[in-house]
Amino acid sequence: MNRRWIVFAGAAAVFYSVLVFFSWSALTQRAFRQTESMLDYAMLDLDATLNGSIDTMLMHAADSITEQLGRPRRLSTEEIALIARQRDLDEVNVVARDGTFLASTDGRLVGLCMADRPKSAEFLVLTNGVRHALSHHFRPGAHNPDVRRKYVGVAFPGGDGLVQVGIDEVRVTGMFPSIMGFIFDAWLLGEKGFFLCADLSDGHLISNPARHRDEAKFLAETGYDPAAPGVVEDGRTTFQATLFGVPHDCRAVVFCGHRIVAALPPAEYYSTRTFYAALIASVLGLVMLAFVLLVRRIDIDSGRLRSFYAAEEDRRAKEYAIASTIQNSALPAPPPPDDAFSLAAAMHPAREVGGDFYDSFRLDATHVAFLVADVSGKGVTAALYMMTSKTLIKDKLAAVRDPAEALTQVNAELCANNPANMFLTAWVGVLDLETGVVTYANAGHNPPVKLEGPKGGGREVGFVTPKSGPVLAFMDGVRYKSFTLRLAPGETLFLYTDGVTEALDAKGALFGEDRLRDAVLAAGDASPASICHVVRAAVAAFAAGTPQADDITVLAVRYTGRGGGKGARRRFPATQSGIAAAGDFLDEALAENGPSAESLSPSLHVILDEIASNIVKHSGATGFELEFEPVSDPPGVKLVFSDDGAPFDPLAHADPDPTLPAAERPIGGLGIMMVRKMSSSVSYRRSGDRNVFSATVAVPSPS
Amino acid sequence: MTINTKNENGKLALALTGRLDTNTAPELEDELKLEGVSEIAFDFSGLEYISSAGLRVLMTAQKAMMACGGRMTIAHPNAMVRGVFEMTGLSSVFEIVP
Repeated sequence: MNRRWIVFAGAAAVFYSVLVFFSWSALTQRAFRQTESMLDYAMLDLDATLNGSIDTMLMHAADSITEQLGRPRRLSTEEIALIARQRDLDEVNVVARDGTFLASTDGRLVGLCMADRPKSAEFLVLTNGVRHALSHHFRPGAHNPDVRRKYVGVAFPGGDGLVQVGIDEVRVTGMFPSIMGFIFDAWLLGEKGFFLCADLSDGHLISNPARHRDEAKFLAETGYDPAAPGVVEDGRTTFQATLFGVPHDCRAVVFCGHRIVAALPPAEYYSTRTFYAALIASVLGLVMLAFVLLVRRIDIDSGRLRSFYAAEEDRRAKEYAIASTIQNSALPAPPPPDDAFSLAAAMHPAREVGGDFYDSFRLDATHVAFLVADVSGKGVTAALYMMTSKTLIKDKLAAVRDPAEALTQVNAELCANNPANMFLTAWVGVLDLETGVVTYANAGHNPPVKLEGPKGGGREVGFVTPKSGPVLAFMDGVRYKSFTLRLAPGETLFLYTDGVTEALDAKGALFGEDRLRDAVLAAGDASPASICHVVRAAVAAFAAGTPQADDITVLAVRYTGRGGGKGARRRFPATQSGIAAAGDFLDEALAENGPSAESLSPSLHVILDEIASNIVKHSGATGFELEFEPVSDPPGVKLVFSDDGAPFDPLAHADPDPTLPAAERPIGGLGIMMVRKMSSSVSYRRSGDRNVFSATVAVPSPS
Repeated sequence: MTINTKNENGKLALALTGRLDTNTAPELEDELKLEGVSEIAFDFSGLEYISSAGLRVLMTAQKAMMACGGRMTIAHPNAMVRGVFEMTGLSSVFEIVP
């Protein structure tokens, strides 16, 4: 489980918490609004019921007075007092249509005009013949502000004056238990809410919900405290109060000497909040869990993909290393140059190893084979196929010496066993060092560039006519044809693979044959190695950082022609293979000098072997020159060795004692002794910085 | 040079064809696996010539055989090879047959 995954799971948990929190808040708001509207409704209902009940009672009383009097008229103080007492009223006024108080329980009013008293004047609306009754709320009395009195007016028929009755709050308070108690007891507030109504003076409950009737006789016993913080008894403010041990949302109002509390337990609406919140939380939780699991699944899958790609990348890198090793191990050192030719080659592998290769080797003293090839495909398969092909071509070429015949045989063998359906292109040439003639065969490969030697004003450069057979390993039974071209001394043939001409620049343009020709021409007089380098550099400059898509292989061979003119002198490198090449050279020279010279072959070979191996092993020379010189008096052959090694006279050393028993003989010194004994004359001189050793072998006389 | 080698119960038989010189002497050296060998029989009938590099290999083999009480024979050397043995004094060291 990685760090990214933990962060994601954490974010999901936070997101979930926020969603649940907002859901909870929304539900709380909803419950609060429902509680508020329920309490609003309850308080409106309460107000309408309480005031309505008293209004109705007073209107009945006033109506009965208008019926009793029939019409507005004057009454004596005793008459009006009796009317008021009979109906439990604190004040009764009879008012004429013009507002004049005709009779009143308050004698001071009689004769005054109702229109002059601001509040009372409102009742004169009843004299318009339309309106029948009007009520006022309790308010402080005109003469005694401590007495709160409520008035109701009722019109005589036709608006002909009115009767106004008043009742003091104190009187209503006294009537409250009998009139109002039953209302509260039966009154519902929601499903579980209730009203408490208590006498303001002693706190005695006149109303108590049936559930709690036995628990409290006084308001204080319910747990309600009017002095508690937050309690506002205006009928509009909701506050919390703990009643019967349970917190309730409450509103309270003081009315007619009584404290009325409407209480709604939280279970009423908040319980649904809990239910819905739990529901939303679980549904959200399931959705989030499903989402998280889905993302986890994707995470695991993409992790697998990543590790798969990493493993694949690793595998490719290893394959590249293996293929690269194979490819590099297959590239030979060029054959040692001599007077007649020089050759250089290079291969620059691409990011992914392809199947380019080159080869060059001597077929004999006068023939050098060289080739460039390109196996289809990349990687280890191509590299292994390359090895097979390279070995086959070299073997066949060494055996048959003719490029076309060699390619024909190689093709037959490759076709016989090609399960991977690989194929390759190849251009194979054999340079005759005597004549400069190149015999070549082409299996679908790019035509080489021929760089002519300097003549007159400059050089000529052009592609070898692309005579070609099909690619190798593609079609069985193909017979390739050899063609020839001739290199004059100083002329160069440049071979390459399509990695050169098909190199791309940043815009996707090809390097192409024209640029290649220009690059070869620009290299001009430089050595074959420099030509290879110049072309490679030109391709790199052209690509300018665009990744190399294919291997780039270059090979340049220059014919310099046989130097010296006597035809029997040649330079060899101071190596074991140089000795072998010198042996071949000796055989050729002997063959050109007839059977009498050939009869000297064993002796001459032994002399060559002894002197040349001395030079290679002891002199530190970089190379040696061997001159084959037929001599006539007496008839025989003279071999002249010249090397650039440290001064060394082999003749200055004493011959070993040939009479010693074998076990005691030092191994060494035998060689020079053999040379002495086989030669008719030997000589050594130091010429400049060279050792020059010559040995002459005479043809034995017939006797 | 080609070397045809047979090993029968500690008797090593080698038939050489071609030239035995600095280039080919290492090949012969490789062929001479002398562990458990008590007799070496060279057939030189196909050998063109021998140089000192070849003589060294033969001398090394001869010393090894003498050291373990074994035997080394050289059969059918040509005139050239026989001449080399004589001029180097090795004809008295090697057992040349017939």
